[in-house]
Amino acid sequence: MYKVVIGLEVHVELETNTKNFSSAPNKFTEAHNINVSTVDLGLPGILPIANKEAVRKALLTSMALHCKTPDEIIFDRKNYYYADLPKGYQITQNTKPVGIGGYLDVIVNKKIKRVTLHDIHLEEDTASLEHYPKYSLIDYNRSGVPLLEIVTDPCIESADEAVAYLEDLRDVFLYLGVSEARSNYGQMRCDVNISLMKETDTQLGTKVEMKNINAFNSVRQAIEYEIKRQSEILNRGEKVVQETRRIAEDGRTYSMREKVDAIDYKYFVEPNIPSTPVTDDFLYELKKELPELKGDRYLKYIEKYKMSEYDAGVIAKNRKISDYFETLLDLGSDVELSVNYVTTSILSTLKKLEIELEDLFITPEMLSGVIKQVKDKKLSLDAGKKLLYEAIDKKIDPNELIRKEGLSQINDKDELLKLITSIMDENKEVVRQYVEDGNMAAINFFIGQTMKKSNRQANPNMSKEIISEELERRKNESK
Amino acid sequence: MYRGKSITQLREELDSEKVTPEDLFSKANQLAHYFQDDYNSFVTIIDKCKYRKSDSKLNGIPYALKDNFSTTGILTTASSNILKDYVPVYDATVYKKLKDAGAILVGKTVLDELAMGGTGTTGHTGVVKNPWDKECMIGGSSAGSAASVALGIVPFSIGSDTGDSVRKPASHGGLVGFKPTYGRISRYGLFAFASSLDHVAMFARNVKDVAIVTDILKGKDPNDMVTLNDDDKCYADLLDKDIKGKKLFYIKEMCGKDAYKDIDDKDLSEVISTFHEMLDKLRKKGFIIEEVSVDKTLLEAIYPTYMVISCAEATSNNSNLTGIQFGPRGEGNSIEEIMFDARTKGFSELIKRRFILGSYILQKENQEKLFLNAGRIRHIIVDKMNELFKEYDGMIAPCSGGPAQKFESTSEKLSDRYLILENHLAIGNFGGFPSITVPYAMIDDMPVGLNITGRVREDDLVLNIAYKIEEETGLKDIYSKVGDIDV
Amino acid sequence: MIAKEKLKEYANKLMFDMNEEEYKTLQEEFEIILKHMDLIGNVPNISDVSPMTFPFSNEDVSLREDEVGDYLTVSEVLENTKHQLNDQVKVPKVVE
Repeated sequence: MYKVVIGLEVHVELETNTKNFSSAPNKFTEAHNINVSTVDLGLPGILPIANKEAVRKALLTSMALHCKTPDEIIFDRKNYYYADLPKGYQITQNTKPVGIGGYLDVIVNKKIKRVTLHDIHLEEDTASLEHYPKYSLIDYNRSGVPLLEIVTDPCIESADEAVAYLEDLRDVFLYLGVSEARSNYGQMRCDVNISLMKETDTQLGTKVEMKNINAFNSVRQAIEYEIKRQSEILNRGEKVVQETRRIAEDGRTYSMREKVDAIDYKYFVEPNIPSTPVTDDFLYELKKELPELKGDRYLKYIEKYKMSEYDAGVIAKNRKISDYFETLLDLGSDVELSVNYVTTSILSTLKKLEIELEDLFITPEMLSGVIKQVKDKKLSLDAGKKLLYEAIDKKIDPNELIRKEGLSQINDKDELLKLITSIMDENKEVVRQYVEDGNMAAINFFIGQTMKKSNRQANPNMSKEIISEELERRKNESK
Repeated sequence: MYRGKSITQLREELDSEKVTPEDLFSKANQLAHYFQDDYNSFVTIIDKCKYRKSDSKLNGIPYALKDNFSTTGILTTASSNILKDYVPVYDATVYKKLKDAGAILVGKTVLDELAMGGTGTTGHTGVVKNPWDKECMIGGSSAGSAASVALGIVPFSIGSDTGDSVRKPASHGGLVGFKPTYGRISRYGLFAFASSLDHVAMFARNVKDVAIVTDILKGKDPNDMVTLNDDDKCYADLLDKDIKGKKLFYIKEMCGKDAYKDIDDKDLSEVISTFHEMLDKLRKKGFIIEEVSVDKTLLEAIYPTYMVISCAEATSNNSNLTGIQFGPRGEGNSIEEIMFDARTKGFSELIKRRFILGSYILQKENQEKLFLNAGRIRHIIVDKMNELFKEYDGMIAPCSGGPAQKFESTSEKLSDRYLILENHLAIGNFGGFPSITVPYAMIDDMPVGLNITGRVREDDLVLNIAYKIEEETGLKDIYSKVGDIDV
Repeated sequence: MIAKEKLKEYANKLMFDMNEEEYKTLQEEFEIILKHMDLIGNVPNISDVSPMTFPFSNEDVSLREDEVGDYLTVSEVLENTKHQLNDQVKVPKVVE
């Protein structure tokens, strides 16, 4: 058995209107070279102009991940030649990244794993290349798109941990609204560094690097495959080669190139972007924007609200749902009922109508009104759900429906008894069948009649109880 | 007669409708062609008069632009083979502002390849010659811009100044050369040499003209983050302020009376003596001029510091020249091969040597010792200047150790006696200080200039001081009257 | 003296080459220049200051608001290369 040591470098494209260093649109598109400025094309004479929103989102992420933020924003040039890098250098952060250190707590197999971070830096994406058998084509749309790179320490020990970290990190991006992080669009990509060592070793083993993996499942496959491959090599008493490998569709990894010596990127401070101070006021404003994150909410739901792990997970997963749920609680709604309605009615409606939460007709205020009726037993759980669907259908506030159409449940025992007595008096033959022949079907007949006569407002459980009692009473009377 | 007239004079003639902008352009065009074979000022001469009417002081005034400013639809080569066919798709801010002001572009001028050089001899279309003496260089890198004004083809021209690339050739060409504060004029569209040192600068034949041009060009540009907010001053209106009691210093180790007493060099001793004669005149005029002493090791470090910073930044800045998305495409079967071929063929030997040096300086193992230490020296020098500027309004110095050099003479820039005097103008770039060259003497019929460098953001004061000095030189509005042409 | 092979390696990393004669010149120049670089080391108390990148502290700097501005048309993007296909720049196959 070997100890597995994994470090992940995640690249996520920030969601902004414009590129990181130019005012061309930052927009995913199928059409080629339509979102390109002089700067993105690296024409002679261009100058980078740093995007405030990209810096803001980068700092927000840095704070959410508990990193140390810098006292000023400066950038550095990373110099290398490649077909997708029109300027011949990438503007990134080396001297003062937006975040140093930091961590993300991840729940893996019911245990908390703290993934510690090396740094977070803001940089720009490269152009994209399409490869054909005899040539490649360059599209500069992606050139200059703001990119945040989050580098972990080599502290991840399994594929499960790696994938759980990636999933949770993605949820952080979504919670913060800094990126949609869609891996199928390449908006979130991952480099995996993995090495194996004996439990007794003090030095890390030889590192193998796998670049630009989009799907989390591929990350899992690549790690599992590498653990197996490297273990076999070590078991044979051989040495792992330091190299870059790629993952193929079959889930295996293949050698791309052996690492020669490390490239010297000749970093130096970008002279065209003067330092801008990160003031305490600015950080304070950002802090106010910082939401409570998924992990914290999850634990709160379990510990404070005694919710099941499953329910806590479902609700905390999505910030909008979680915010909706917490608004319900803030409005004084019952926890259990709120969980029930959110995880069933609300989620199923979103799914069925294929809409986002913000497009849902039912606001937390409306739902809390319904929940109150249920809690006060004026409405059954199911009646409440039916009411919600009707409200969505008619686009009318469910509380309005209750008020206008008098859909409130009749829970008054006297009122129900009065109604039921009158129904029985009108159906003496059926009463007789119960009293004399012991026909139990009579109970269901009277429930049906009660519901019909009450416009389905009668509390069914109470009605059933009253009907049984009344029939028994009449049976005893006839004896 | 058009040739040799200043902006101010041409403005009057235009306003009184004695001439039209089309007349001026056609004369400038004629002169440009006439002198091209002998002096080689231009990479491209524009033959069609295009101008936009405006009410600015530059409306209808012809000018020349260094060929490292991006001009839509007009060939822009930076005097390098690697850009020999490059036609930009966007306008440099400077070009756009001049167009909007109604100035008329006469041509794009020759520079030292990629602005890296100080001789005017390394452009891909050949050597630029000094209008005062064809056997001499005019200096660079803004060589063609200097020559075109010194020949009287245009009243002003635009150059770029990274170490002294406008202020030195101004000295050799008998011109006023002004480099305003870093960020006063946008660099957007100026092909980068060393971004932290690059300035837009200009030539004219008198101080008022450079003030007029600066007034048009200055201001905040959203396309250049380092640009300063506009100071809302009209420099041309502030030139005549009283300078009584303004304090200037000169550095003893650079240009003190006895700084070179052991050296037998006629030009050098004339420079020093004429300089001190001028100082006496200026004192009489009301300036307070004092000698200060600065550590010689610091002054000697100016040139290597400049070399380190400029070569390092240049290596990176020119990494976009690969022939992929613009420029001549190299041959080869892989992307590396075509980049390699384009760059091998596109850069001259000198440029390659500078790039290798720059890359060496930035390498991990050398960064601390070379690049970062150069940045520290830059810091010390700038701090020293700012300390002196607390007491003084400006530094005054000769621009070089003599008039323009002959082509065959080997560069003595690195020799000890010239090390400080030939390279000190880079101080203005280190600290972004406004800095101006004004001709102050003729040595064997060749002009020499002196330089005033002042506090950051106080461009108006530097121009004011220069304007007052100009009154004492008797060398206002000079140009070389060579050639048998009467326009 | 720096070996010519080393200089060639530097050149090749910058994506160009020179001929033998040129490397020889460079080798000699490097000697002189490096000697001059030593002047940098002569300045006293150099470690007391930070390396300067920006000529002066500039309070006029602000980050750009995230609003779409001017950008190029496809034909402008491709204006300066003959090597194009399907609105993209065509290059020899890039081996990843």
